[in-house]
Amino acid sequence: MLSGSVHLTLLVGPAVPVPVPRFVLDALTGVTVHSTAEPGKQSAFELTFELEKGSLLPTVFLLVGGSLPPVLRVVITVTVGSMPEVLIDGVMTSTSLAPGANGTPSVLTVHGMDLTALMEKIDGTGTPFPALPVAARVLTVLAKYAAFGVIPAVVPSLVPDTPNPLERVPVQRGTDLAYLRRLASRSGYVFTHIPGPVPGASIAYWGPQAKIGLPQPALNVDLDVQTNVESLNFSYDAEAATLPVIFIHHPETKAIIPVPIPDVSPLNPPLGALQPIPHRIRYIRETAKLGIAEAVLLGMAKSSSAADVVTAQGSLDVQRYGQVLRPRALVGVRGAGTAFDGLYFVQSVDHQLKRGSFTQQFTLVRNGLVSTLPVVPV
Amino acid sequence: MTSPQLFPSGLPQSPESPAFPATSRYAGLPLAMAELDGRQVRYVTRRFVPQPERFAMLREHPVAEGERPDTLAAAELGDPERFWVLCDANGALHPAELTSIVGRRLRITLPEGVPGAADA
Repeated sequence: MLSGSVHLTLLVGPAVPVPVPRFVLDALTGVTVHSTAEPGKQSAFELTFELEKGSLLPTVFLLVGGSLPPVLRVVITVTVGSMPEVLIDGVMTSTSLAPGANGTPSVLTVHGMDLTALMEKIDGTGTPFPALPVAARVLTVLAKYAAFGVIPAVVPSLVPDTPNPLERVPVQRGTDLAYLRRLASRSGYVFTHIPGPVPGASIAYWGPQAKIGLPQPALNVDLDVQTNVESLNFSYDAEAATLPVIFIHHPETKAIIPVPIPDVSPLNPPLGALQPIPHRIRYIRETAKLGIAEAVLLGMAKSSSAADVVTAQGSLDVQRYGQVLRPRALVGVRGAGTAFDGLYFVQSVDHQLKRGSFTQQFTLVRNGLVSTLPVVPV
Repeated sequence: MTSPQLFPSGLPQSPESPAFPATSRYAGLPLAMAELDGRQVRYVTRRFVPQPERFAMLREHPVAEGERPDTLAAAELGDPERFWVLCDANGALHPAELTSIVGRRLRITLPEGVPGAADA
């Protein structure tokens, strides 16, 4: 799948993925990868093959992938210019075949999820974690997946909680993925699987949804020759803003004081200068039993996801943009007018590769109108 | 001035404000401090050039008359500042070596560490 300076590398194999042989790439007609930063969602991919009669491909994906090794791993990497970018590191979950008729070839479609799909396979209910704080429990759970090149990146929880094994031994409930997600939402964190930086390796991130970092090259709308997006539509929903309220328990008087907190924190900086007045109030009840600083930090972490009132959806051509737009990072927007220019957080990206074209559909979010920066970095 | 070390160690570049952009050959290399004439000078540590065999080949490019490493990189990779990728893949320690012989068949490759089937 070579088109100009974009090159696709497909690696498939049980547990250890290896580059696919030539005949597999010749049959490949389309690749779709959905990568998302939304908490509680998984990234997914879809490969489409056109088959001749008697092709070996169904053998590769159905017989070998379905039964003998329980896991068929698929890594999709694109190289734009000379920068490699791993789009997804996942496993095959299902296949479908539409037989050809009247001279049209059969179409084999292979669906899959990122490596978190593996973490859903076995129910680990009852696994004890004696005297382990939350971050150490997360690391213990993730250690099993080191064989698949999963590197854990765990940010210790704000609330120190090392249970005394004489009083309480925490046990796992549900599958690994469900348990990791439950621990994450209790700390106001997210658990996501980030592919890369090299093919075969990936990062399992358990920590706060950090909307910080170096912004990617700006998306230019309606800027004549500088335009690098095909379309971009903005929407502003003032009703979506909520005011998080935490409870602080005063130990002497036993009074419970509700404290509204702003949804701005060091990890969730205001990307828009003009933020709507919240229309709804959201109580975060589990903060009553914590100290003041911990309650405020937990409230800030929990509320950071609820503040996105501006959404932008659009599509771009990677050849025109010059590089792959990555999710879970910031990107600048120029040329959309005073209200919508500025930095955005890339929430999800759908990569669509066909022979000779590579387009991306993306969703950007932020928490207010009007840029906070005087100049958007190019 | 401190004597140069074989494997200099130093501070890693912070991911928030890297000293070099991601497309630079010095991206990710640790930084170190040295004392020069009584001043503290920050310098980037030694970069080891990878073996050319570690790059999976895509195609060949015969060098034409008048081509330079930057024009080659612009034509093949879309970025003239990435000429050092071509140097790495062809074992050229000096960029001018790349285009000094007209007709030399240069290897255009995938980046280091990306495996590839031959002519896929």
